[in-house]
Amino acid sequence: MKQKHVLYLLPLLAALLYGCDLSKDIEVVLPEHTSQLVVEAYLEQGKPYRLAVQESASYFDEPTVPLVPDAEAFITHNGNRVKLEYKPKLDENTGFIYTHSSPVIMDGKPGDMFLLEVTDGKGRKVTGYTTVLPSVAIDTVEWRFNKNDEALLLTSFQDEAATRNFYRYMTHLDSLSSGSKQDIFSNDELTNGKRISFGSGYSYDPGDTVIVTLFNIEEQYYEFLRSTSGAKDANGNPFAQPSKVKSSVLGGMGIFTNLAYERKVVIIR
Amino acid sequence: MTRFYTLTLTTVLLLFLSAPCIAQKALLRGVVRATSDGEVLAGATVAVPALNIGTVTNEDGFYTLSLPAGEHTVQASYLGYTAHSRQIKVETADQQRLNFSLNAANTTLKEVNVETNTLRQKLNDTRMSVETLTAREAKLLPALFGEVDLVKVLQLKPGVQSGGEGSSGLYVRGGGPDQNLVLVDEALVYNPSHLFGFFSVFNPDAVKNVELYKGGFPAQYGGRLSSVMEVKLKEGNNERVEANGGLGLIASRLTVDGPIVKDKLSFLVSGRRTYADLLTRQVNRLNEDQEDYSPIPDYYFYDLNAKLSYKISPNDELTLSGYYGRDFFGFDDDDFKFGFDWGNTMANLRWRHKFNRNLIATTSLYTTSYQYNITNEIDVFKLKLSSAIRDYTFKTDFDLFLKGNHSVKFGATATHHRFTIGRLNFQATDSTLQFGAGNTFGGVEFGAYASDDYQLNARLSLNYGLRLSGFSSNKTYMALEPRVAAKYTFNETTSLKASFASMKQYVHLVSNSGSSLPTDVWYPSTADVAPQRSQQAALGVSKLFGRGRYLITNEVYYKWMRNQLDFRDGANLFVNDSLQNEFLFGIGRSYGNEVYLEKIKGKTTGWIGYTLSWTDRKFDSPNDLDDINGGRWFPTRYDRRHDLSVVVMHQLNKRLSLTGTFIYSSGNPFSVPLGRFAFQDVEGKGTSIVPVYEDRNSYRLSPYHRLDLSAVLKLKPKHGAADLTFSVYNVYNRRNPYFVYFDQVKDQESRAIIRFQAKQVSLFPLIPSVTYNFKF
Repeated sequence: MKQKHVLYLLPLLAALLYGCDLSKDIEVVLPEHTSQLVVEAYLEQGKPYRLAVQESASYFDEPTVPLVPDAEAFITHNGNRVKLEYKPKLDENTGFIYTHSSPVIMDGKPGDMFLLEVTDGKGRKVTGYTTVLPSVAIDTVEWRFNKNDEALLLTSFQDEAATRNFYRYMTHLDSLSSGSKQDIFSNDELTNGKRISFGSGYSYDPGDTVIVTLFNIEEQYYEFLRSTSGAKDANGNPFAQPSKVKSSVLGGMGIFTNLAYERKVVIIR
Repeated sequence: MTRFYTLTLTTVLLLFLSAPCIAQKALLRGVVRATSDGEVLAGATVAVPALNIGTVTNEDGFYTLSLPAGEHTVQASYLGYTAHSRQIKVETADQQRLNFSLNAANTTLKEVNVETNTLRQKLNDTRMSVETLTAREAKLLPALFGEVDLVKVLQLKPGVQSGGEGSSGLYVRGGGPDQNLVLVDEALVYNPSHLFGFFSVFNPDAVKNVELYKGGFPAQYGGRLSSVMEVKLKEGNNERVEANGGLGLIASRLTVDGPIVKDKLSFLVSGRRTYADLLTRQVNRLNEDQEDYSPIPDYYFYDLNAKLSYKISPNDELTLSGYYGRDFFGFDDDDFKFGFDWGNTMANLRWRHKFNRNLIATTSLYTTSYQYNITNEIDVFKLKLSSAIRDYTFKTDFDLFLKGNHSVKFGATATHHRFTIGRLNFQATDSTLQFGAGNTFGGVEFGAYASDDYQLNARLSLNYGLRLSGFSSNKTYMALEPRVAAKYTFNETTSLKASFASMKQYVHLVSNSGSSLPTDVWYPSTADVAPQRSQQAALGVSKLFGRGRYLITNEVYYKWMRNQLDFRDGANLFVNDSLQNEFLFGIGRSYGNEVYLEKIKGKTTGWIGYTLSWTDRKFDSPNDLDDINGGRWFPTRYDRRHDLSVVVMHQLNKRLSLTGTFIYSSGNPFSVPLGRFAFQDVEGKGTSIVPVYEDRNSYRLSPYHRLDLSAVLKLKPKHGAADLTFSVYNVYNRRNPYFVYFDQVKDQESRAIIRFQAKQVSLFPLIPSVTYNFKF
């Protein structure tokens, strides 16, 4: 009993030592940041051309999204150059806010290239291209329960050996607008030509409706995702090496790519 | 540069050839030992103060000294021991033997305040840029969590910096922690730290002393650019069995040593272990019934040192020493098992043979390795990831004492390295999945050297040498590394020293962090990765004043570095079979001025060290996209303009001594984002803020300063000796910056971002500790 009392005292001592707040607000005067155009454009087969244009801000500027109303955006496919109108709009299915759109529907076959140009009144110009990829079929989505009735989810598919492939795997509960439960991106350097499985911890419950999406993504999109993730991680992780965002566009920042994916919905039971 | 090497080689050869031409003098030689256990004292000074000449004992405690005919007072001294003087009369061409046996001082603090002429001998030493520390000295100083750490004491010396709060990494004259040659009883240790760099692997009970070379490297050392840290383990007591140890806040330690066969065979075994895991396991057990309780993972580290010393004959001595240390972090429950362990292993067999009075050979065969292993198990899936480096080294060194004040060293070394990098195995036990990765490289590193420590006259002495080094993997590299140090004595109180050293480094640490991470891996020089190179010149002046009680030294240095390693933005260093594609190569420069004021006599002793320095790198890649900071010079993470350390030790009375340390240093350069943008991703619900990083290290953290205090109270146990060491780290609870990040301040209800705020995170507040040390 005596020993137990001593053990209770030790966490108290630790709390006294570490309980004090070791984080404090400070004022940082940053060197000047030159604002750049930032583009986010994800083309989807059978859906209209839509994209978002904003500009980067100094870190301590007001937290409004700096839109660029005078920006002009064009997408060219097979010699057909389409201008996207500036009409900010919310996609209620995904929560994505577009600034520019066109009624023209994306119609591309794997291998087709789409070009992007964005210019604005300050003379800034962003260009980029994306090559349409085929989607990759999901073989199986399975789950296994532990003794606490929690489920592990496993999604498997076959990697194509002849090409370098990059994947993004996402799961959502109930709807796509709920925010992803899992978000993994990887390449096939270690798994080329093999059957690949993306798994999870025991983090799903019986009755969960899970939307599983497997994107076959371009290398430039993979690098963009890695670098943005790395940049976010570095802000707050003293062990991380800060890295610049690797954009897929020239003349500014952001991503211009196409989404080739396969999606399955399963109910955990 | 070829002309430079040719000139240097010619000069060295001329000096060697000139050796026999020097007029003959009397030759004095002998061994300096500790009286208590007969252990030889390496690095002890033997001098004739009246002539301003002296020398330092080698690792076998052996010295030679040339003297003119006549009567002289010869003095031997060693830090922590009472100096001993003896009168001697020598004739021309005479050869005499003079051994010394030094007594350790009675009280701990006195061991540091010995009434010696140590400062005078330091003034007369040809070597420069060398810091010496005994474990006894380190034990007096305040320590984080009461854990005495020799490396953290070395960080208090000028020109030596820590990597950050609590770190036991050494950053010497602008070099990284991977550029330090860390030797334990002459065998290399690759990762000298525990717990992500917060504690060093050196158990103070097993260590006799530490020498740190910051420049002016003697030719017997090679393979790293920035420093040599030579740790000498104690030898087992030849007289009686002793045990000593300590009970601390986070760890305990025990050392037992003594004779197996008196005066023939002795042993030393020393161990240390942390025990926070015993507490956390108990806490986990008490809370295991709570549904939402997340168990605290296990963490502990331990290390073991052992040494056997066997005096086969008066001319032969065999030593077997070893180190084994591991850190372990992990947890284990029904669903998920995770284990992460890392550490060093070292075993060294050393044979010292005395051919005759003038020639001694020391031959070592050792193996050393560092490795980490990560295991992860969930359901049927198992992941194993590991990296390792393992060396097998053969090394032989000769000490040759020639007439005319020549102390010649020559030798050779060969090391076979085996690098296992990022070995990954992922598999399912039901055979549905398996893949792996990893590279294995081999390489042979070799070196041969010759040097001469030569006292030309009472005023001028030289230590000059040449090292031939090389490395062979899929490409062979070879280099000549000239080394020279000189001392000129103006008068009894003032000397001028200068040195030049060229160094090569053939193995590289792949580390993308400012901290020492266990997952950092070593990578060999290959056809794609050239060896690192540095050249350092230093000039210093030392002045003894206050009737020999104070020594002030001022040294300036300039170091050039080539083939410095850094990594592309966003480099993948963890599991990458094409790691070399992530490397960038650049140049570096480091320069500064170090002032060091010491007092080692009297009741109050200590030192003040101040360094003014600059450390920059430049990576101007042929591919502009890979340039760092546009190919311009930029400060490294450990560039600090001002660095001040004040160490004061005061003996209040026979039982109580007080010590204090104060540190001030300019803030570290740090990378902060200058801009940001909102990233909606394919689904707008997950909108996040992406920081826009531009130049590296464009911001400086606020200055670092801290005061630590400690008191050592000697107890009076019935048997043996004991003390209580009270230590307070960060006395005025300064919130020193560990890192800075930019946070989002959100509205409580809408969760919308209302502004951005910079936050500074500190690591250690005021931390008191108490340690009980015993000896019997």
